[in-house]
Amino acid sequence: MSDADDSNPIQEPLDLVRLSLDEHVFVKLRGDRELRGRLHAYDSHCNLVLGEVEETIYVVNDDEDDDSVKTIKNNSEMLFVRGDSVVLISPQSQS
Amino acid sequence: MEGAEPPTLPPQMFTTSAQLLDLTDKKLLVALRDGRKLIGVLRSWDQRLYVNDSYCDIPRGVFIVRGENVLLLGEIDLDREDDIPFRQASVEEVFAGQRQADAEKKHRDKVHRKKLRALGFEDEGEVLV
Amino acid sequence: MLFFSFFKTLVDHEVTIELKNDLLIRGTLKSVDQFLNIKLDEIHVVDEARYPHLSAVKSVFIRGSVVRYVHLPANAVDTALLEDATRREASNAAAARTR
Repeated sequence: MSDADDSNPIQEPLDLVRLSLDEHVFVKLRGDRELRGRLHAYDSHCNLVLGEVEETIYVVNDDEDDDSVKTIKNNSEMLFVRGDSVVLISPQSQS
Repeated sequence: MEGAEPPTLPPQMFTTSAQLLDLTDKKLLVALRDGRKLIGVLRSWDQRLYVNDSYCDIPRGVFIVRGENVLLLGEIDLDREDDIPFRQASVEEVFAGQRQADAEKKHRDKVHRKKLRALGFEDEGEVLV
Repeated sequence: MLFFSFFKTLVDHEVTIELKNDLLIRGTLKSVDQFLNIKLDEIHVVDEARYPHLSAVKSVFIRGSVVRYVHLPANAVDTALLEDATRREASNAAAARTR
């Protein structure tokens, strides 16, 4: 918005997230979840709105000796994510 | 405070309390963070425990519940509440069933957490029931 | 205040709230406050068999802090407007810090 932003686009960590608006991002969450989607909104708590979301849930077996990991994929057209679950947000080139 | 204007609450105080205002004096279900369910009129409470398909009610008098322990408040539909397909059981039976279910869940969660930590995942914090 | 305002634009839309305990509740968004506490009407629990205690409940007040996701109807969200509002909020916050 302002000139200061243009001269030095990254002054604080969330500026990196700002540059990802309308771009694909990878979001790692607390618990066993990851999200990939297009970032439409965020705030300082890392509350997010993502579009075209693919959620990956990692499911481990109840059996202590069986170390296999399954993944479950869910899709959501538009998703609000509460910031307190967010561990990291990473810009992603769409592959 | 004497003589001064009556203290005014910031406007955001009202948005929350307004939402709760129309629940006052209604029969509610309150789900707490530890999995307990309180049932009662917003003013006084009973406690109900569920295990599988059985439940029991424990009269608890009046509870003041600290906000952070609340998961949700649900308004009970008085016409529908008698149709719940559950069986009332003795307090002892439900407690025993609940202890067992808790122990199984604790063990399962422990195994899950250990494995997921090894994969680089963070705990989700408090495990909500 | 961005998300508070955003949720206010979604009042009367059908949303599905996913709580941190995996409970999924579908219902009509009736109100929201600045903590993002949410009131839903005409609720329907997606996996009702697992959550018997909600079978006689018609409307809920959900504490914002226990929400994991809110699944939204995409056609109710103007993404360009939302992105502009986000940029505005970010630069307001930056201006407030340098002041």
